[in-house]
Amino acid sequence: MDRDGFVPNPVLAGLVGICPLIAASRSFAEGTAYGLGAAACALALGAAAPPLRSSVSDRLQAPATLALSAAVALVFAACIKAYSPAIAAGLWVYLPLISVSGLSLYALRRSYPSRRSEDSLATLALESLMFLLTAASAGALREFLGLGTLTLPTPGDAPLRLTAMASPPIRILVTPAGGFMLFGFLVAAYRAFVPRREGQ
Amino acid sequence: MSYLGIIVSSAFASNALLTYGLGDVPRSEDEAPQEGRSNLARVLALVLVNSIASGLMWCAHVLVAFPLGVPSLDLIFFVLLAVPGMKFLAKASGLAGGGLLSIVGERADDLIVGSLVFGIALIFGEGSYTLPQALAGSAASGLGYWMSTGLLRSIGARLDLSDTPKRMRGAPAMLLSTGLMALAFMGLDAAFTRALAG
Repeated sequence: MDRDGFVPNPVLAGLVGICPLIAASRSFAEGTAYGLGAAACALALGAAAPPLRSSVSDRLQAPATLALSAAVALVFAACIKAYSPAIAAGLWVYLPLISVSGLSLYALRRSYPSRRSEDSLATLALESLMFLLTAASAGALREFLGLGTLTLPTPGDAPLRLTAMASPPIRILVTPAGGFMLFGFLVAAYRAFVPRREGQ
Repeated sequence: MSYLGIIVSSAFASNALLTYGLGDVPRSEDEAPQEGRSNLARVLALVLVNSIASGLMWCAHVLVAFPLGVPSLDLIFFVLLAVPGMKFLAKASGLAGGGLLSIVGERADDLIVGSLVFGIALIFGEGSYTLPQALAGSAASGLGYWMSTGLLRSIGARLDLSDTPKRMRGAPAMLLSTGLMALAFMGLDAAFTRALAG
């Protein structure tokens, strides 16, 4: 696989879609659902790119990509609403916004020097997985440290919530303000533990 | 809520960047400070694009998708009709001969496909506001976003000159600053707005 242009962690290294992710990932369940949606969106765009390129004129490719992204986000939103209305309600406008995060993830791939679509699709899959893992783990961390609970993405009206601590330890972490601060520390920690490759 | 209440809360307590996480945190290291005409063009572009997007989303939701019984499809109407229309308007303005309108058009063109415009359009276009309220709220959200990013850019410029630890330079320091500013903006909450504007 051609790894030129591979961003090891698109959120913590590339800051892709970091702001909506901060607002959307208030719990493990919501972070997982958001990450899964963005990853699905990016992968659908990656898979549809070759047929789009061959069948749609250059001028219409950008609107077609955007429409496809929105359609995937809507289908995903419908699936999440059917799976767990509580998670869907918690994600609110961030469910349709999955289309923009998916588009941002997909846009990373377009800048790769590699022209072999199977290589860049595999790279996109890796980055999408990283996005999902980051969203899920950030949601879990914020919820656990912020509320002392862990909401699992289980189906039904009320997702299963595990309570580890009776009183919320650092409640501010579940607010957007706390999310920005936590992600600031996560990006710094990532930089400290993952050495930068040359040229990045 | 009164119009003043909608405007104040959209700009502060419900700030697009600090509360809803829409748009991007400015990165001081790769953005030159904007002054004068360019800054005015940025404000105008933010206000105009957000207002037009919210107005179109409101129309798509209230006049098309809701009567047809498919309220969630307003996003598709928006993406297929409103986004290309706004792109065309922005490009046409961008070609308007080098004046302020041209700079506004160029700035607007960069904004249209992004979480900021989509998010604000979704928040104000859902139909819980009237059309004038949606327009006022989205314009105020654009102003609030401009204000918060302007403040963050200034903070970033000062942070670049300060003795920040190596790993915290750039994005981590900006994210921490954004969090602290979000805390300050949380103080201007709904209760404050109600007391101020009714």
